Amino acid sequence: MLWYKAWLETRWRFVFVIGSMMLVWLTPLWLPGAAPPERLWLGLQLGWVLLYIFAAVFLAGAGINTQTMYAATPGFHGSMLFTLSLPVSRRRLLFVRAGLGAIETCVFVAIMAGFALFQGPGATSALQALLYGTRAIVCTLPVYALSVLLACVLDEMWQFMGAGLCWSAVFLLQSRSVVVSRISPLRGMSLVSYPVTAPMPWAPIVASVVFAGVFLYASVLVLQRREY
Amino acid sequence: MNDIVIATHGLSKSYSGKPALRSLDLATPRGSICGFLGRNGAGKTTTLKLLLGMLRPSAGEIRLFGERVNSEASSVAARSRLAFVSEDKELYPFMTVGQTIRFTRAFFPTWRRDLEEKYLDLFRLPREKAVPKLSKGMRTQLMLLLAMARGAELLLMDEPTSGLDPAMTEEILQALADLAVSDGTTVFFASHQLAEVEQICDRVCLIDEGQTVIDGVLDDLKSQYRRILLVFDGEPPRELAGFPGIDHVRRRGRTASLLAHVDVDAVVDRARGLGPRSVEVLPVTLRELFLDHVRGE
Repeated sequence: MLWYKAWLETRWRFVFVIGSMMLVWLTPLWLPGAAPPERLWLGLQLGWVLLYIFAAVFLAGAGINTQTMYAATPGFHGSMLFTLSLPVSRRRLLFVRAGLGAIETCVFVAIMAGFALFQGPGATSALQALLYGTRAIVCTLPVYALSVLLACVLDEMWQFMGAGLCWSAVFLLQSRSVVVSRISPLRGMSLVSYPVTAPMPWAPIVASVVFAGVFLYASVLVLQRREY
Repeated sequence: MNDIVIATHGLSKSYSGKPALRSLDLATPRGSICGFLGRNGAGKTTTLKLLLGMLRPSAGEIRLFGERVNSEASSVAARSRLAFVSEDKELYPFMTVGQTIRFTRAFFPTWRRDLEEKYLDLFRLPREKAVPKLSKGMRTQLMLLLAMARGAELLLMDEPTSGLDPAMTEEILQALADLAVSDGTTVFFASHQLAEVEQICDRVCLIDEGQTVIDGVLDDLKSQYRRILLVFDGEPPRELAGFPGIDHVRRRGRTASLLAHVDVDAVVDRARGLGPRSVEVLPVTLRELFLDHVRGE
């Protein structure tokens, strides 16, 4: 039933990010001849990375962390006390909520990644599409996990702002620091940094798995220690 | 089977060094309806949250159903046997009444379908109606349904009748009393509605500034406590406050009002020795007990 609740809680968010994706897909149809195909393709690829981040941050919202008492508005939020009075551990609450959001994020990224390759110029094999989709998903996970962590300590508006600030900083630092550049998940998920024909970028992939694990573990610790 | 359902010993809680509860001792027997009273900020909600594991005690011990609650696992086990109705009565805004019932039912194998149907009917709650479209009274009713139908051994309630009209309040209070009598359910409810507490509670626990001031059987308390009204020719003498057996003294003009609960006859005799113009001994109401204990002199 927790999965059912998580789905009811997030379904409109999921519909919203899928709708955003449709808009990006349709953009080339609306702009025939507005720009050379290569430039348009480059712009879309950058846009896709932003959409991955947006989806990961947006889908990490809600859950017990944002059902705060102080944010209670009639009919919205404030159900946290009800959730916490159920015979369910906080760890399970977090895993189910984060798990469903992660699945939705992965579905979104997989569709985006697949479409990116079909829409892009030049032929792409199914294997290349699969490999790109996999790395895009893995590199999106730390973005998602950081948002889950932020959602454990901040309300939703600050969670968005905090995530935006963090990933903007990573984006800026990756052009100034060799280390950040090598392990940045943002570069790992980008077809601009690593074209589909490039070898698998293992450094950002491994770093993404580590960061996602650390953020998720920190979320569990925070949630278990937090008082409501 | 343990006969004390809620037991706390030396329970304390501080927020940033500021004490909210100070060594609170509670003992609520199985099947009782206990009114948990206190002023705003006295520590009632903090106590309920500590019992539910939402807060961690700074010191002291909590036992629910005879088991010590000192870890998340023990808290989860205890929560499977109780229900909580929060003061704000907030439920999931993305669910309907029916979905909320199905969701809650899944956690409680002891769920009573007969009670679910009974209260749905009584409260006239439409299953398909979305929670945000319910009035506050209907949300309260739904929350009470979720609490009462789960077959819980203990109901923890924070202002359970807030938002209900007098007729519905009466029905809810009756339902709670029936549950305690028929199923042996223990009801522990925080309230400011002294008339409601007096109507259905057999026990009362009054706390003030995080400490237990009164904890006992309501009828016993009412029979033990007496108000002694003394009228003097001049200002009431100061030594009244030092009398043994006197809980509180209030002075107004030439009148002194004493609240006594130990050896009332002896207190009256001593008071007569101070030469009052008149002495009157009266029974006390719960309201008077409450006001005397939380206001002091």
